[in-house]
Amino acid sequence: MNREKMEKRGTPALTSGMNKKICPMSKRSQVTLFIIIAIVAVALIVLIYMFWPDIQGGVGIVPSTPQGYIQDCMEEEMAKVVETISLQGGSLNPENSINYLGNEVEYLCYNEEYYLRCVMQQPMLKSHIEDEIENAIRVKTDECFNALQESYEGKGYSVNLVRGDYDVELLPRQVSATFNYPLTLTKQDTERYPSFRVDLSNNLYELVMVATSILNWEARYGDAETTTYMDYYPDLKVEKQKQSDGSTIYILTNRDTGNKFQFASRSIAWPPGYGG
Amino acid sequence: MKKIFSLMIVLVLLAGVVVAQDEDVNANLGISYCCEKTVGGAWCQNSPVGNCDDAFRKAPASCDATSYCKMGCCYDSQEGTCMENTPQKVCQENGGVWAGDSAECEIPQCELGCCTLGEQASFVTQTRCKRLASLYGLEIDFHADIQNEVQCIASATSGVKGACVFEEDFEKTCRFVSKKECAEMGAVVVSGNGSASAGEVKFYEGKLCSDESLGTNCGPTEKTTCVEGRDEVYFVDSCGNLANIYDASRIKEKNYWSDYYDKSESCGYGKSNADSSKCGNCDYFLGSTCKEFKRSEDRVRPNVGDYICRDLSCDYEGQKYEHGETWCADAKGVSQISPDIKDSNNEAENLPGSRYFRMLCYNGEVSVEPCADFRQEVCIQDEVNGFSTAACRANKWEDCYSQDNEQDCTNIDRRDCKWVEDIELNTQQQGNVGTPFVGSGGEQEQPFVGTENSGVTGQAIFGGDKDDEDDDKEKGACVPLFPPGFDFWSGGDSQALCSMANAQCIVKYEKKLVGGKKCVENCHCLEDEWEDSMNEACIAIGDCGSKVNYIGVEGYYDSKALYSGAGEDAKDEDKKKDKEDEE
Repeated sequence: MNREKMEKRGTPALTSGMNKKICPMSKRSQVTLFIIIAIVAVALIVLIYMFWPDIQGGVGIVPSTPQGYIQDCMEEEMAKVVETISLQGGSLNPENSINYLGNEVEYLCYNEEYYLRCVMQQPMLKSHIEDEIENAIRVKTDECFNALQESYEGKGYSVNLVRGDYDVELLPRQVSATFNYPLTLTKQDTERYPSFRVDLSNNLYELVMVATSILNWEARYGDAETTTYMDYYPDLKVEKQKQSDGSTIYILTNRDTGNKFQFASRSIAWPPGYGG
Repeated sequence: MKKIFSLMIVLVLLAGVVVAQDEDVNANLGISYCCEKTVGGAWCQNSPVGNCDDAFRKAPASCDATSYCKMGCCYDSQEGTCMENTPQKVCQENGGVWAGDSAECEIPQCELGCCTLGEQASFVTQTRCKRLASLYGLEIDFHADIQNEVQCIASATSGVKGACVFEEDFEKTCRFVSKKECAEMGAVVVSGNGSASAGEVKFYEGKLCSDESLGTNCGPTEKTTCVEGRDEVYFVDSCGNLANIYDASRIKEKNYWSDYYDKSESCGYGKSNADSSKCGNCDYFLGSTCKEFKRSEDRVRPNVGDYICRDLSCDYEGQKYEHGETWCADAKGVSQISPDIKDSNNEAENLPGSRYFRMLCYNGEVSVEPCADFRQEVCIQDEVNGFSTAACRANKWEDCYSQDNEQDCTNIDRRDCKWVEDIELNTQQQGNVGTPFVGSGGEQEQPFVGTENSGVTGQAIFGGDKDDEDDDKEKGACVPLFPPGFDFWSGGDSQALCSMANAQCIVKYEKKLVGGKKCVENCHCLEDEWEDSMNEACIAIGDCGSKVNYIGVEGYYDSKALYSGAGEDAKDEDKKKDKEDEE
């Protein structure tokens, strides 16, 4: 009521003056405001792009398929496990190892005596690593499949999940886990998923194959020439760090992806003096 | 009867005690056992019995002599890889196939051949070739007759490629593939829409899809790209097919967009073409490879497209090194070894704590590779046409001390030693100072079993009577060319080795009538020069004597401290007396 009165009483000139004082919008300030809004919008887009997986999890966005759900749930854990195992010579808890820059690096070929060739300790390195990854993701696998089941039950599905076996395989450019966990979802229709597969982009397979070759050189000659490998494989970096106790740490890195595999060897070790 | 029975019980008990104590005795004597597994988790190690894991087998013998640690070849039948020097149990428990005939894997399953996979080749076993073919979805092509890796890689060719022309969505299009791939595509086209016949897919060998005469929808562009597994920068046509190697000067040339040109027929062949704005004929071995242009890393921008031959050389301490070059680091306290080892500058070098290092330049990055510590390896370097190559190789110093003549001493093919005429070493334990290397029988010899006291009294007696046999010996001593390092702080054999330079000089004095004494024999031993030469002998052996370490820090003792007995006192007294006489 009062407002109406005021509007009726007020002169147009006065109203216009008040507007200018309260909201002094010139063209320049409008442009500035738009620029600020644009910057904020761009920054938001960039932030969303950068932290999309976290945001997705945070706001409860669930992948539309069970396969996508398992891939999202397992991928991070698999990446972490693969990285740890890769820095420790292929084992999650190395038995016979040397500490190198804070990592316990397993000896894959070893002789504790001086002047003697090493004895191969992990001849089936690839399958050993596959077993190690398999064991390391066991708990997370259960967690993810439980969460998947709960998630679909929460959406009103009838869920039938058979927990079979699962298998990890190192393949060129990827580490792949196949879960033989047949899943049947029933609501109005029935959906069947015979198995799930989680793929992790990683060069561990290629690096392990180079490692086996280096280990054969170590077992035969007590040393391996790093430049030979770098000549043949342009995307590979091979570093050799000889330690004072006669051990050698090999660090294999894919130059394009940065994936690493490091392991230790002790073969034809030289003692200080005669080693007497 | 009762007595016999009692005696038997006593004997049995005694035998039990002996057996029980046997292991302790062996452990105390330091007898080596073959542990199937050590407590530290290592398989098949010769180690004191206390290190053996009780849950596994052990025997007081070398592992070579045991059945459970016999070495063989471990074959992975799935991957086709062979692992040498593997114990049977370790192999089989991990699912491998063990062959005891050859620890070095000289078995038919491990014979290598050339495996050609598409455009690439790999020198592997036949099973590995099959595995690779299945992994990459390629056909197996194994050549057992090629017995050399270089020959194998050289045999890899890109095969005959050309334009594969076909119709798609009522439009004539093309793909640049091999003849075989084109034939396969023909089959796909036929079964794909059912209307086309195999005749409609045509292969034009050596032609590019952008060839105008083919009448396809593919044409020249100004786009370039890198291809995985290849070094060069390639043009790309409007359909996304690869064309010829990037050559800015020929971008408008019709022939260059119609006919395929080999690498050898392309621009700048035989050169790296690193940082070339016009030519994309990169070569990894010559120091360049295809990479996307980056302002921070590349000096010039390509005239056309976004890809360039990246220069893979390195700048290190103001010097340029080519990709693949290796050189010896200018490390503190070590010798600079020239290709002719005898000419190496190793005077006053090889200081305690020093070590040789090799440097590498690869992919524009310099990395460091330490040689074996305690200077058990030295870095050697040579240069051909300005391209340097270095390597860490064993320092063959071990049998220097046992050489008693200059000719054997300086036989550079067998050892890294030098003959020094001014010094004599106490090589009393010469028989023990032998090569510690693995003998012909593969067994380790115990090289030098010295005690702390051995030789402390010194055999190099100056001025004393010498044995007749010494008369035939050449005067001088054979010492390492690159003196090794010792772990003198933790015992080891450093004392025994250094004691070889111990010397006793008997100085004779005559009493003067008036009083005092006068040196009459071996007076030179009281001179500083003698002291210095003795220290030189120490230094020549290894980390002995009085010197600075590799960072220039003085040792705990000066040369005065090296003297024992009355020597230094006598010397001081003598100097004092001389001073008095002068006054």
